[in-house]
Amino acid sequence: MTGRARARSRGRARGQETGAPGAQPPPSEEAARPVPPPSAEGELVGRGRQRRAPGAVASEALLQISAGFQQVKIGERGGRRRDFHDAGVHTRQLMEHVKESKTGVSGSKIELRANFMRLLSRPQWALYQYHVDFKPPMESRRLRSALLFQHDETLGKARTFDGAILFLPHRLHNTETVLCSETRHGERVQITVTLTNELPPSSPVCLQFYNIIFRRILRMLNMQQIGRHYYNPDDPLNIPQHRLTIWPGFVTNILQYESSIMLCTDVSHKVLRSETVLDFMYNLRKQCGDQRFPDACTKELVGLIVLTKYNNKTYRIDDIAWDHTPNNTFKRGDADISFKDYYKTQYGLDITDGNQVLLVSEVKRMGPSGAPPPGPALLIPEFCYLTGLTDKMRNDFNIMKDLSSHTRLTPEQRESRLNRFITNISRNTEAQNELSTWGLSFENKLLGLTGRVLPAERILQGSRTYDYNPWAADWSKEMRGLPLISSMPLESWLMFYTRRNSDVAQSLLQTLNRVSGPMGIRMQRAVMIEYEDRQESLLRALQQNVGPDTQMVVVILPTNRKDKYDCVKKYLCVDCPTPSQCVVSRTLSRPQALMTVATKIALQMNCKMGGELWSIEIPLKQLMIVGIDCYHDTAAGKRSIGALVASLNHGMSRWFSKCVLQSRGQEIIDGLKGALKGALKAYWKYNNCLPSRIIVYRDGVGDGMLQSVVNYEVPQIMQSIKTMGEDYMPKLTVVVVKKRIASRFFARIDGKLTNPPPGTVIDTEVTRPEWYDFFIVSQAVRCGSVSPTHYNVVFDNSGLKPDHMQRLTYKLCHMYYNWQGIVRVPAPCQYAHKLAFLVGQSIHKEPNINLDDFLYYL
Amino acid sequence: MCRNGSDRMAALFSPPLYLQRYQFVIEYVKRFIPRKVIDLGCADCGLLRKLKFHRNAIEVLAGVDIDCAALRERVNALAPLTIDYLQPSPRPLTIELYQGSVTEREPCTQGFDLVTCMELIEHLQLWEVEGFSNVVFGYMNPCAVIISTPNVEFNPLLPGLRGFRNKDHKFEWTRAEFQTWALGVCMEYGYSVEFTGVGVAPGQNRDVGFCTQIAVFQRDAGVSNGPVNNAVQMEPTVYRLLYRVVYPSLCDNNIFQRTLVCQVLYRAESLKREFELGEQSMQSDLTACAHSLPPDVVAGSTVVYRHRSHVFVPLQHVWTDPKVQALCGNIHRLRQALMDDSRVQLDTDRDAIILPDEGEEEEDEEETGECEEGNLTPSPVIDNSEEDWETEIG
Repeated sequence: MTGRARARSRGRARGQETGAPGAQPPPSEEAARPVPPPSAEGELVGRGRQRRAPGAVASEALLQISAGFQQVKIGERGGRRRDFHDAGVHTRQLMEHVKESKTGVSGSKIELRANFMRLLSRPQWALYQYHVDFKPPMESRRLRSALLFQHDETLGKARTFDGAILFLPHRLHNTETVLCSETRHGERVQITVTLTNELPPSSPVCLQFYNIIFRRILRMLNMQQIGRHYYNPDDPLNIPQHRLTIWPGFVTNILQYESSIMLCTDVSHKVLRSETVLDFMYNLRKQCGDQRFPDACTKELVGLIVLTKYNNKTYRIDDIAWDHTPNNTFKRGDADISFKDYYKTQYGLDITDGNQVLLVSEVKRMGPSGAPPPGPALLIPEFCYLTGLTDKMRNDFNIMKDLSSHTRLTPEQRESRLNRFITNISRNTEAQNELSTWGLSFENKLLGLTGRVLPAERILQGSRTYDYNPWAADWSKEMRGLPLISSMPLESWLMFYTRRNSDVAQSLLQTLNRVSGPMGIRMQRAVMIEYEDRQESLLRALQQNVGPDTQMVVVILPTNRKDKYDCVKKYLCVDCPTPSQCVVSRTLSRPQALMTVATKIALQMNCKMGGELWSIEIPLKQLMIVGIDCYHDTAAGKRSIGALVASLNHGMSRWFSKCVLQSRGQEIIDGLKGALKGALKAYWKYNNCLPSRIIVYRDGVGDGMLQSVVNYEVPQIMQSIKTMGEDYMPKLTVVVVKKRIASRFFARIDGKLTNPPPGTVIDTEVTRPEWYDFFIVSQAVRCGSVSPTHYNVVFDNSGLKPDHMQRLTYKLCHMYYNWQGIVRVPAPCQYAHKLAFLVGQSIHKEPNINLDDFLYYL
Repeated sequence: MCRNGSDRMAALFSPPLYLQRYQFVIEYVKRFIPRKVIDLGCADCGLLRKLKFHRNAIEVLAGVDIDCAALRERVNALAPLTIDYLQPSPRPLTIELYQGSVTEREPCTQGFDLVTCMELIEHLQLWEVEGFSNVVFGYMNPCAVIISTPNVEFNPLLPGLRGFRNKDHKFEWTRAEFQTWALGVCMEYGYSVEFTGVGVAPGQNRDVGFCTQIAVFQRDAGVSNGPVNNAVQMEPTVYRLLYRVVYPSLCDNNIFQRTLVCQVLYRAESLKREFELGEQSMQSDLTACAHSLPPDVVAGSTVVYRHRSHVFVPLQHVWTDPKVQALCGNIHRLRQALMDDSRVQLDTDRDAIILPDEGEEEEDEEETGECEEGNLTPSPVIDNSEEDWETEIG
């Protein structure tokens, strides 16, 4: 359903065609909980219904409206909508040194194309905002529209009206126009249309307005809205073996970018499944039996998004109502009605399985006219279709391979899809009419711009230095046979294996020995311990053999089943802190690959024990880099896990890591404050001084969460630093790192469209004027289109030049020890991600503090 | 159809009267299974939206209204849902909306099985009613017509009502007046009629009749006024076509084929998986593998078998899936449908589906990589010999 129609159906009287039958009033304790203060982004001007008596409306509302650049939201009525684009967070103006320019200078220029299109409007274009008043007041929003639209000749064809505010692309003759309409039963209604504002093309309201118009256009192209984006249902890709259907579509948004208003559009795919939740439940029950079914079912389903058969809404499954079936009743109006009867009478749908349990979805949307949310909705599995992938599918190599063969597009394929999209819009007469009545159009080609390719870094490894192929962004070959910066001698270590894998274990041991010599790792023979292929016996074997002197535990797992891995990690990260290395036997099964695999394992083991592999030149002293990321654990009570990783030395080769678990409602940073303090203390321990500069890279910030990072997290970080001493005032920089973005860049090399080379920086045109932000393409990808990383410096009192900020960031992407190459984000973010993921997926507890100084989670 | 003015009636009826009128039509559709239904005076398409869900066998659903703003308002609610694409219905459905007057003759409106006309005629001038009758019964000439209108005898029971129920009403009829008109129509155009209604009077006031009186007309057998053009899709000549949508359905050959192939392959793949699991457990028991028999031994067999790194799944097996059966009717049709489809590979006898054997996985990408790197551009210069950014900070 479209945004508009959705808002409408929400405003409809309850019980007519509600999308959420069985909605119950929220429990009283919910209601009693204090309401969080409204965030700035959620401010809405009264809509949905006329609340005040006419006449009284004016003054206050007018004041607010005429500010022009204030947050007036058009469109979705009755609810508050997250601002997914973080508009209205103005951080750049507070940073003196980037007010003039935020661009860098290093590197060689490169011509790029980006997935942006300029929005063109005729000169002096403006949007006119009118307040519409009905006398007598009309309750129904639809009636208000109908009454107003009787005056086509006065208002013209192009208009947007949400029940109180009217937008027109032209100015009416008078500031105040009085119109007369008549309802169907002859009641005369006086409508006063008053000009309240003339909005320049770049005002926030206009931007929002463009997005609404554009969504209309997508609908005209017969695209279906699912969640926030639009997809083309007519050309599905099917993967029958997994019952997946993929709809190609587009992510679009129109925003004010550095120099112009542009449409950013990227190809997106929606994974849908042609089976109902009920089908899924049947299959699952068959697979795991009645006993384990409830657990497995909850684990698989909770957190998934479903589409319902009778409307276009999506719901998130939050729980399963094991004690409810379609024969249960709910209140509808004054009477009780069973779910079965409701769906029969309302939609003509028959429920075939009367014993299916129901799904619970917390409806977060507001009720009509700002009323509290209607409470959880109960859904019928038979009428719900799954969307997206389950964790299990994500871990299934075959599914992901099949999927990516469909969804991974080369730069050329991607560009041609985008161009086809542009052509479709320009060829569709209905769409063109819509745009032209508003006096708008889009530039019919992708934006061209200039980026810079930063110089490749020189890798330092002890006394040796070497360069890498800048296109491959990988130095696994270059470092072969070179001694590491520092290595931990392996004197007391254990290797666990099952009987079936005893040969594999022996050959791994030999190969490890062979490869470790040239790297400078001294390795004694491991104690070999056989375990039975059962979780309990593995745990027992660990408990009996791992002692306080054990430096490293290697476990060869027979399959990639998660439970044994989890068991090893839980025991060795929490109860008995020891670095450990798990290997699935299959990885070792091919003799020709064993050398490569063993080399990687040796490097990883060395890192886990505190060894250092390589380094790069960092031209700043007394610097501490901090990376923060979080993981949202959907299974275990929706707990979020925050991880903080901080550098301890100048070479960025030693790190302090801390992971905190927090309960619902708590902010991630609350727990990480202590971790930051711990990091500073550890820095002191290693350097006998505190860092004079701290740069925090904050990853894992969702769309629309920027404001809270700026307003809440930055002060918390400063407070935490303050606790180290009143006179301790290091320079602080906070950078928000974003990987999941819609921006894409293409380079044209030798007449062929390719990915930009690693090290490409973009800091003009497609950045945002109100931010100190830039993009870096740091990694190289073998197939598909590379995805740039967005860096937004939200706080900076370091005075560091933008050029240095960009280069430092790029340098840090070289320092992730689990990959002999450049990664997408600065190493501490990648470490933090890895740590949070391990804790969230396997350990579910805070790891032992004895491991804090090691990269034990690699 | 007027809903807005029904405030004073809202308290009287539960469910509201307009919903009762919709329900009346839904019940009728359920009983008589019309294929083509047109709603005259459809306003915001409330009835059409209902009928979209309670289709039974409806294949064409049309709406006509003179007010195009009202029509446009809820057009999107008539569009197919996401699920309609995911699970295409076995029957076709086309929804069309026209702007036009019910007193004009429009060729597109001919050939319908059912015409509904709820709370419309009272908005016409009395002198227009005859023209209306002529268009609906004489020209459109459908199998059945449902017409509803207010029963003025009921009005005294409506609290606070003076005059007509709605100021736009040009007349409101008594039961006798309505019936006289209806019987006249029957005489002239060859229909028979039954009278009923919705909205029962409260208490003892039964003698006033229903609040809304309804006449259901059936065309007399053998009487048809003209050529019925079912097949050809025409552009309207008098009316304006505002909206037209064709729902995805299995009647579309492409959609049918796609749906069938997906279901067949899903079934075949799950049979293959079962087969492989069985094979694995056999292997671990170290029993001889009886499955790799040459194909001539197992030709026409009904078991899944492996031959030269392919797994053969007999059609017989796939056929046992009820969803495949529902799509195809018989196994010959299934074979026919799969024969010409490039997404499915059949063996020479066309008795089995051949699936690639994924037992041996391809080389890891790690090994096969190292593609198209090389010297595409001059590599950027390395100039980071001994820098100190501190000194550069002004």
